[in-house]
Amino acid sequence: MPEIDSVEQLLKMAALVCAAISAAILVWYLLRRPQLNRPVKVLLLLGLGVMPAGVALTGNIAGYEYTLKRPFCGSCHVMGAYVRDASNPESNSLAAIHSRNHRFGEESCYVCHADYKIFGAVTTKLNGLKHLYYYVTEYAYTGPDGEGGPTIHLYKPFKNGSCEQCHSTSAPRWSKVEDHQGMLKEIRSGEMSCIDCHSNVHPTALAHRAKAEQPAGQGKEEHK
Amino acid sequence: MKVSVEKLVAISAAVTLAALFLMVVSIVYPKPILLVMSMSLGQGIGTLSLALYLLAIALDLQGHRPEPEESAESPAPPASGPPAP
Repeated sequence: MPEIDSVEQLLKMAALVCAAISAAILVWYLLRRPQLNRPVKVLLLLGLGVMPAGVALTGNIAGYEYTLKRPFCGSCHVMGAYVRDASNPESNSLAAIHSRNHRFGEESCYVCHADYKIFGAVTTKLNGLKHLYYYVTEYAYTGPDGEGGPTIHLYKPFKNGSCEQCHSTSAPRWSKVEDHQGMLKEIRSGEMSCIDCHSNVHPTALAHRAKAEQPAGQGKEEHK
Repeated sequence: MKVSVEKLVAISAAVTLAALFLMVVSIVYPKPILLVMSMSLGQGIGTLSLALYLLAIALDLQGHRPEPEESAESPAPPASGPPAP
């Protein structure tokens, strides 16, 4: 029996149990075709309404939880190089360092790239649907890491707010850095981007993409 | 075309099984396309099949209401009063 070590696993198990109960009721009905009396109707309501609703609810929550995780982001092959670098314990890239931090852990992609607003999760997941569309229409069958596809870009510039979720710009250790002191106003207002200086974010992936660009040919559209 | 209540319920059950399959696949293999299919198509089909079942039950309840035409066709119930002379 699979080990249940998280809420996500528990929800998945609950969804599968609900689905099994529902399927058992429906298959029984389709094979036996009993008379539609009141107990059968109630049983069918369980199999057609209550249990599938349970599957949808628990499955949605478990599915949403899984979409926050790094393996999910890496399940599109174009993200392969990014995810390999972030998961590499030897790498000193910003993505890898943050992924090794237990506060980010398996959710490092989402924590840094999600919109940091009240509806941030919704807008991020809507953008995820856009990613899926581009993946299917432009990156499928473009090589093991999507080398033949267009260059990958962020939709909008990376906001300092994502970094400021943790780096509040007021901690003594952060403030001790001379460059931080000199540009505090610009950093807080967003005029100066954190990644302008801390640019070693996904070095392997971007280098890989840049190399792949040359033989892939010009004239490809870019996603912004 | 007339569809019997039993047939509607059977169709609803079969469609629900298909919806369950779509929803369970994304739980077992959580890939982006499967998740989107599960949350849109799977749940949409599941909702439609439940609506179909509720329609079948509503039709069934309507069919069981005593109507004058039906009572005239059906065999007369045993008389409770004294037999006519």
